[in-house]
Amino acid sequence: MDASFISNLILASVRMATPLIFLSLAELYSQRAGLVHIGLEGLAAIGSLSGFMVSLITGSPLLGVAAGAAVGILVNMIYAYATVNLCAEQIVYGMAVNIFAPALAAFIYRVYFGAGSELVQVGLMTTLSGLLGITSDNFLVRLLLDQTPMVYLAYGLVIFTAVYFNKTRSGLNFKAVGEYPKAAATLGINVVGVKYAASVICGALAGIGGAYLTTCYSTTYTDGNVAGRGFIALAAVIFGRWSAGGVLLACLFFGFCDALQIRLQVGSYGIPYQFFQMIPYIATVAVLAVIGAKKAGPKGVGKPYLREER
Amino acid sequence: MKKFLALLLTLALALSLAACGGGNSGGGSTGTGDAAPSGGDSSNAGGDSGGKTYKVAMICDSSISDGGWGMACYNAMMDAAEKYGWETAVSDSIAQSAYYDNIVSFCDLGYDLIYAPGNQYTDAILQAAEEYPDIAFALLNGGADTPDKAANKNVTSLLPDSQQVGWIAGILAGLMTETGKVAFIGGMEIDTTKGKYAGFVESAEYIGQQEGKTVEALDIVYSGDFSASDKGIEFAKAMMDQGADVFFGDASAVDSGARQAIDEANAASGSVKVYDIAQPGDFLGQNECIIGSQVTDNSGLVGLCMEAVEAGTFGGETIYGTMQNGVLSVGKLSDLVPSEVQDKYNSYIDQVMDGTFMQ
Repeated sequence: MDASFISNLILASVRMATPLIFLSLAELYSQRAGLVHIGLEGLAAIGSLSGFMVSLITGSPLLGVAAGAAVGILVNMIYAYATVNLCAEQIVYGMAVNIFAPALAAFIYRVYFGAGSELVQVGLMTTLSGLLGITSDNFLVRLLLDQTPMVYLAYGLVIFTAVYFNKTRSGLNFKAVGEYPKAAATLGINVVGVKYAASVICGALAGIGGAYLTTCYSTTYTDGNVAGRGFIALAAVIFGRWSAGGVLLACLFFGFCDALQIRLQVGSYGIPYQFFQMIPYIATVAVLAVIGAKKAGPKGVGKPYLREER
Repeated sequence: MKKFLALLLTLALALSLAACGGGNSGGGSTGTGDAAPSGGDSSNAGGDSGGKTYKVAMICDSSISDGGWGMACYNAMMDAAEKYGWETAVSDSIAQSAYYDNIVSFCDLGYDLIYAPGNQYTDAILQAAEEYPDIAFALLNGGADTPDKAANKNVTSLLPDSQQVGWIAGILAGLMTETGKVAFIGGMEIDTTKGKYAGFVESAEYIGQQEGKTVEALDIVYSGDFSASDKGIEFAKAMMDQGADVFFGDASAVDSGARQAIDEANAASGSVKVYDIAQPGDFLGQNECIIGSQVTDNSGLVGLCMEAVEAGTFGGETIYGTMQNGVLSVGKLSDLVPSEVQDKYNSYIDQVMDGTFMQ
């Protein structure tokens, strides 16, 4: 294991962690408003297709990302209306989004491109080093500059979220809705409004997370390309103890484990590949054992808010 | 009122699912015409035979728009259906847990032939074949002994010679590698993938010996699924870091991801020094790095099944696909392959054809 192996491993970890960061932040905002959302996989899938198609049609990956966010919001309004206004079971509607949205994405792709069509490829977003015209094999240059603007946005959003939830009145009000909405309402906080705002943010970030895959990572769209990231993001929020910094570390950890198992498979020298594929799961169990089961999440998460209920 | 709205919303979602082809773990289905399972749809490819319109349905765990395996197998079915005038249906991107359900749904809808392109469907096919004795099941890349395991003798294995598939790619890889390291990316650990890898390795190493250079293959890696193109990107980057300069794969969309990474690496270096060999269709031109393809004429194999169904003689056999009977062939070569290398390649392929390769 030489320096090149380690530096490439770190670069791969950053690549693989970025979509997870968007999705985990989406879940964090939703849960902080008391809405547990297991439908991130579906939101990301439709965001991925929207980003791909708009990027292909307009030639602008940035517009693709915007489209992913917009469609993510739109689809998430179904979930928001059902769970906030109708007080429906959040898990059930999250699962419905998970089934509905990828199927819708597959349907749209098939209608637009046709079945069995040639592989369609789009150009990816230019990296900062590309914009600046810098080419270097230096590890730090590659780590800090050879990234798309979406990577900087992801890390910027983590900082913003940490400050927002802990240092601003609005953020504390937001968290209050997720902790004890009735008490928040007595303080004049618009609980329903906050829950809708959370759903808009959640939909946008999940859509961006999906769009990242087809505008910054892979030049193609295939059904199932989200590949379970929505569920990993759910776990990352729990790992991260519902804090922005914790979520970031959890995403980097998951990204690192996945990158590690791929790199170790390549240099396995006879060791069964299943051993390496187990690494992310073993690591998950190990971390869970270390951080314990102490509940740190919002107290009101998953519970419907009925203003008239006593 | 709220309960009514909730019910209405649920109904709308359910109807959307039915319309959009979900219900199978994100799977989609395509075509036009009759209804099909999980919203899968069918296309009326044309006429009938003797007053009966025959119908074939395909299930696939990868997308039929993946630019690789799924797409080639789907197009093979469509070509055969067009030739024989069959109706078609497909359900793709289905999860392993939904294989059986999708097959049975097509059986219930009266499809005459179920076409499953992959060894991984064997258990689901055998179970359904036992429950639906009047329906024909064609298993592409099925085991040679699979038809014998079907009590009703209604299963046929279509078995392209995986060793020859590996040879076709391995010969080109052995000739083109400059670093002496070639790489193979698998989707799942199934017999046909292992067979292709074995053929790829032995032929590449043999060609290396013939050409006076050392050629070794990196250990096979498995992405674990056929949809994760990002895994292909990461595997290819890691393998290029190990020195690999010619790639072959059996992982559908994962292969597309690998080609993207190879193209990016070539662009960064300013010249095309890392290559990919595609399969099972002729994909030359899809990516700059593709220097050739191993082509499998699955439509011919599916067509044989259709003929047998119409004649009432289907089942209980294994139909092999080889270079000798025309099922396997070599795709067009890229200009990146020098003419003298093309000549050598063609002479080695001739040896495969006449059975003298590696003798």
